[in-house]
Amino acid sequence: MYNPISLAGKKYIVTGASSGIGKATSLLLSKLGATIILIDLNDKGLSETAESCLNETKILVVDLLDSADLKAKIVNVVSEIGKINGFIHLAGRPYLSPLKSLNEKVLLDVLKINSIAGLELAKICSNKSVFSGESGAFIFISSVYGCVGSAANVGYAMSKSALHGITKSLAIELAPKGIRVNCIAPGFVKTNMLDSISGSFSSEYDEVINKLHPLGLGDAEDIANSIAFLVSDMAKWITGSIINVDGGFTAQ
Amino acid sequence: MEDFLEKMAELFEEDTVQLTDTIVDFDAWDSLTSLSIIAYSGEEFQKTITVSQIVEAKTIGGLYELLKSN
Repeated sequence: MYNPISLAGKKYIVTGASSGIGKATSLLLSKLGATIILIDLNDKGLSETAESCLNETKILVVDLLDSADLKAKIVNVVSEIGKINGFIHLAGRPYLSPLKSLNEKVLLDVLKINSIAGLELAKICSNKSVFSGESGAFIFISSVYGCVGSAANVGYAMSKSALHGITKSLAIELAPKGIRVNCIAPGFVKTNMLDSISGSFSSEYDEVINKLHPLGLGDAEDIANSIAFLVSDMAKWITGSIINVDGGFTAQ
Repeated sequence: MEDFLEKMAELFEEDTVQLTDTIVDFDAWDSLTSLSIIAYSGEEFQKTITVSQIVEAKTIGGLYELLKSN
């Protein structure tokens, strides 16, 4: 049967795989036939994701702030299951803070997890000892706030817009290796991370956020679907793109 | 306590603040300042608070008690 989005035989790393968009992405890529290496700090959440995946999975409990540990664990798992085709860097943390309360230590942690860990992954996964050499696809997850401004979000916006530069630079640098590098900028998706942010606001905040999305808030699966397309060979001529998947947020 | 008062003075953009000062009376009291207090609360007191809790605390002293409470 013709299935151009089949991922049979492919292997991908998914960071932030224990919940939200990371979990939805792992489930979908697995359903499409891929082997998934699930990375997160939350081992209980990872086990739950692994149990729901239809295909082979490997669990790596890693603190993304520790790049040496990240590399060692990826190299080790590759020695078990074989080389991989790419990764989706979904792990991230919000940082809701106006300019005047910005804390340098928190800011650096946000930058390290949201942006620099993605670069580390790219470095590790483009190495010929880890990359399979075919159908390479690296996906970074930005945000609408990497594209447009929002008060009290400067630290988060900095970390997400950094991914846009990383995407374009690496798209050029890694094209000769056959690795495509793309980025998705999601709007607000119904996840625990969104719940934790909206808890800081009044109830009217939910209404404001809803109005920013002509198609309403997204589901984690909406982002997972675009990721599946981008890693598949259907997107083989797409690299260096920042794709808005935001229910119309940035169309306004 | 001294660090707390110094931080509040910075967030409310005043030279100094007193424990008896009413939060909503500061010229700099707005949604961004309330978010700054929420961020500070999480980082320094590991406590998640809401805007309405800040308003209910009424004074700088009340806010300090809120942040120190379990």
